[in-house]
Amino acid sequence: MAPLTALTTRNTVDRLDKPSSYAASKNKRRKFNRGGRDGRDGRDGRDGRDGRDGEEDRGREPTPEFEERLRQATTLYVGNLSFFTTEEQIHELFAKCGEIKRLVMGLDRFQKTPCGFCFVEYYNHQDALDCMKYIGGTKLDERIIRTDLDEGFAEGRQYGRGKSGGQVRDEYRDEYDAGRGGYGRALEGDDYR
Amino acid sequence: MDKSQQQNGGGGGGRDRRANDGGGRHNNRKRRHRDDDDDDRPTRRRYEEPLAVKLRKQVLAIGEEGLTQECADLGSLLASNWTEKEVQRDVVELVVQLVCEQPFKIPFVAALVLHANDANPEVAAEILKRAGKKAQSLLDQGDLRGFKLVLRLLALLQGVFEGDGIFGLLDDLFNRAVDLQAASSNDAIGIELGKIILLTIPYLFASTATDLVSRVQELLERTEIIATAPHPQEAYVEPYTGEDDEKPFGFESLIGLLQKELMRESENGWAFSCLARPYTPPDANDASPSKHEFPNIVIPSLVNTGAKEMFPETFFTIYSDQEFESAPRTEDIACMLLRDACIDTINVLDFNRISAAKILIDIDLYWAPNTFAPRGTPFDKLKEFEDDKSTWKPEDVIIDAVFSQIFLLPAPDHKLIYYHSVITEACKAAPGAIAPTLGRAIRFLFKHVDRMDMELAYRFMDWFAHHLSNFDFRWKWSEWLESVDSIDLDPKKSFIIGALDKEIRLSFAKRIRDTLPEPYHILIPIEKEKDTPEFKYESDQTPYAVEGRKIHALLRKKADESEIEEIISSIHTQASDLGVEDPLVPSTDAYVTAICYIGSKSLSHVLSCIERCKERLLAIGEKSDKARLQIIQSVVEYWHWQPGTAVNIVDKLLNYTIVTPDSVVQWALGAEGLGDGRVLAQTWRFEMVAGTVGKVTNRVRQIATARIQAKKQRLEQEQVDHVAQVMTAERESMRALFKSIADAVGPVAAGASDGLIEAEGAALDPDEVDFVKAWGARWERTFMRKSVVEECIVGDMAVLAKLTALEAEEVEEAPNGDDAAEADENANGNGNGELDTDVMAEVDIV
Repeated sequence: MAPLTALTTRNTVDRLDKPSSYAASKNKRRKFNRGGRDGRDGRDGRDGRDGRDGEEDRGREPTPEFEERLRQATTLYVGNLSFFTTEEQIHELFAKCGEIKRLVMGLDRFQKTPCGFCFVEYYNHQDALDCMKYIGGTKLDERIIRTDLDEGFAEGRQYGRGKSGGQVRDEYRDEYDAGRGGYGRALEGDDYR
Repeated sequence: MDKSQQQNGGGGGGRDRRANDGGGRHNNRKRRHRDDDDDDRPTRRRYEEPLAVKLRKQVLAIGEEGLTQECADLGSLLASNWTEKEVQRDVVELVVQLVCEQPFKIPFVAALVLHANDANPEVAAEILKRAGKKAQSLLDQGDLRGFKLVLRLLALLQGVFEGDGIFGLLDDLFNRAVDLQAASSNDAIGIELGKIILLTIPYLFASTATDLVSRVQELLERTEIIATAPHPQEAYVEPYTGEDDEKPFGFESLIGLLQKELMRESENGWAFSCLARPYTPPDANDASPSKHEFPNIVIPSLVNTGAKEMFPETFFTIYSDQEFESAPRTEDIACMLLRDACIDTINVLDFNRISAAKILIDIDLYWAPNTFAPRGTPFDKLKEFEDDKSTWKPEDVIIDAVFSQIFLLPAPDHKLIYYHSVITEACKAAPGAIAPTLGRAIRFLFKHVDRMDMELAYRFMDWFAHHLSNFDFRWKWSEWLESVDSIDLDPKKSFIIGALDKEIRLSFAKRIRDTLPEPYHILIPIEKEKDTPEFKYESDQTPYAVEGRKIHALLRKKADESEIEEIISSIHTQASDLGVEDPLVPSTDAYVTAICYIGSKSLSHVLSCIERCKERLLAIGEKSDKARLQIIQSVVEYWHWQPGTAVNIVDKLLNYTIVTPDSVVQWALGAEGLGDGRVLAQTWRFEMVAGTVGKVTNRVRQIATARIQAKKQRLEQEQVDHVAQVMTAERESMRALFKSIADAVGPVAAGASDGLIEAEGAALDPDEVDFVKAWGARWERTFMRKSVVEECIVGDMAVLAKLTALEAEEVEEAPNGDDAAEADENANGNGNGELDTDVMAEVDIV
């Protein structure tokens, strides 16, 4: 009932439980990559979103089921976390939308320390949608966090994709963010040391 | 370049660094590019939006400026462009959708239709046709809310209908309601239909129709019987308990209140002065408007779909009927009209909480001018208003509506966190106006928290902590200092302890302590800051200390099971020598505590450790009930200072079936765990038990749904029988679980539990005994209600009713009507869509 009609008719105000343009465009990029280039799409990290998606890097077959998977998604990408936010804190907030099946912290791929994102997997698709609607854009550990529907976690994606091991967005950030390691690391390298 | 640097530097701090940073350069390149182009770029040809798109935007924004002129303009614009196919198609659909999604705007939509009708009757005819179809399909789907809203539009258009207009349909609805009620006194659909009739009447008086009074009077006389019938479940949904003079208000039937308000309004000359009337007819000497036939709507057979409908609705308010009238009094029809429209707005727009909050904040635009005091008027200023000026605070009205959902029993339409998020957004959008209103709400709720239903007190606490976490944890804690000095059994103190614990769980101990006045600091001792609690076996004072440490070391290096077995045997031998009744208990303590210690790093650490030790843990429970209780005991003891983590781990242990629902209840409420009963004031204990019960009831609901599905999918009889058997068995164990809770807390409530009697006059003074009894009663009531709710959904009668309805449906028509079970699931907030696909697989996972 509701979910199906929701996809076919527009509502009078936008829905908050749609995948972001990033999640949607990931599919397009993927299709595009098969046609040429080097298939290292995630690398540019336009918004430096998640960890390196191992499979994706190898230019995985474009999957016709991709949209279908998002339509049944039970996993969320969660971004803009503080490096100091713990699994327990995440669990505490996200369990308000339903029982959590799995929680995977995003890690700096060299230091293996939290680097500000995670994947939350629910048992039910509806819980994931509710999480988009009710939790995305609210605060956790005093930061506004971002949620996005995700096609599902795959091993390797828990690691940061930035040059120095964290997320790409933290490489070049020129604003100080105490919760995310201060200034961008690439910048630190340039002119601080 | 200079300009951009200055802009960036405004942030302070790292200014000098930014002079030649990479990000800045990147920006500048763009900027330069743009600068070059700016002047000589040919002006882009202006893009003209297609008319349909433009109209869509205008229709969507209707009423948002609070102007009535736009309805007229838009109406004639629509009429003059009616020949365009796209306009017709889009606008007709949109108008009806807007009615269903943004109820505040219905009077404006009606005005639009009336204006369009004046210019071109074809427009109105088309819209009425669509509205009629929509009303029918909503009714067929059992979406009574949507139906009510379309009906509201039709009521406002009563003036353009031939003959009786809407009254025929209202009569049909009434007759159906009476039939349903005659069949069963607590038939919810009957009450719901009665409510729809009563909520439609006021809007008739905002239409251009005349000669309404006698018809309405007649209808009202007849609805009296539906509205005043007592409901058997009334006691379970009262938000407050205790004697009448002790609680802020008791059960107040929503439909009963509505009936009373309407009767009163009849004495006021049917003024309904809060309703917006944005339509002004053209000059009187013009011909009267074109009339239309009322759409044909047939009332189908309606079936109860969920638990919510089986319980009567009670009116919840924080601000109404207080000494000062900052919200309409409950005797005033405006009270219910505003509330009803607010609740629908909130519950329909759950897919965009930000829009929901925005529309709510704009409430004053959509009702008659001067219905409210100006937005954000401070409460004290209201008191200085002259007599004829409204003192209704728009903020109070909307926040009251959101809280009415948080405090709705048995459960609101959506997950509680949705309502939290609406409040958060409202607060973000208009902090100056909303925050003081919230502050008054919090004070009111806290003041009466000791009379509040326990489940609601828990919801209040959970909301409060979550809300503060979105606003820097700021609260005037100094107001509640008196309660800090009280004993932990005091419900107010229990609330404070529980709220602080929840805050810490969303943040961390030191941060929360820093937000509190000094007297509160004793509630957050230094131990709460420790990420890794001490391992008690580190101390040689602890029995079996050596073995405990060895087990820990072995587990850490992932040693072979046989090595661990050796140490455990050694504990068993020593324990037996000491005369310990069940030697498995001390060894389990050592084993589980070691797991907790290793897992203290994070939730995933403890989970992977449990996963590794699963076999042994499962075997422990199978061997001895006592040892199984010890598993829980060890977890809770290790996480003594962070009970939230313990609750979490126990929850996961349930998933592994290492502990059973029954063992959790035994541990939490059994004679040993309960003691003199003071532990009943621990909010985390309630959380643990309620969570466990929730797991069990969800499972039974899933199987009951599978039972219905099995029939729907016409599975083999053998398979159907299997599902039915599983359902019966699981339902029985659910009932047993509820019984064991009742058996544990009932005697405490009655002052007859052994532990309590023993402690009376010794460990507990008379005041404390009273507190303990009250806690017992609160537990008893809450879980009794939960059990009644489940019976409404999965009880023999409920399942039978659904199966019968299914049969009737099959006889009536071919497929296509398979939403009932799903709708039921969704109504209860815990849908599990997986069921459709593989009924049997689902049932067999026991």
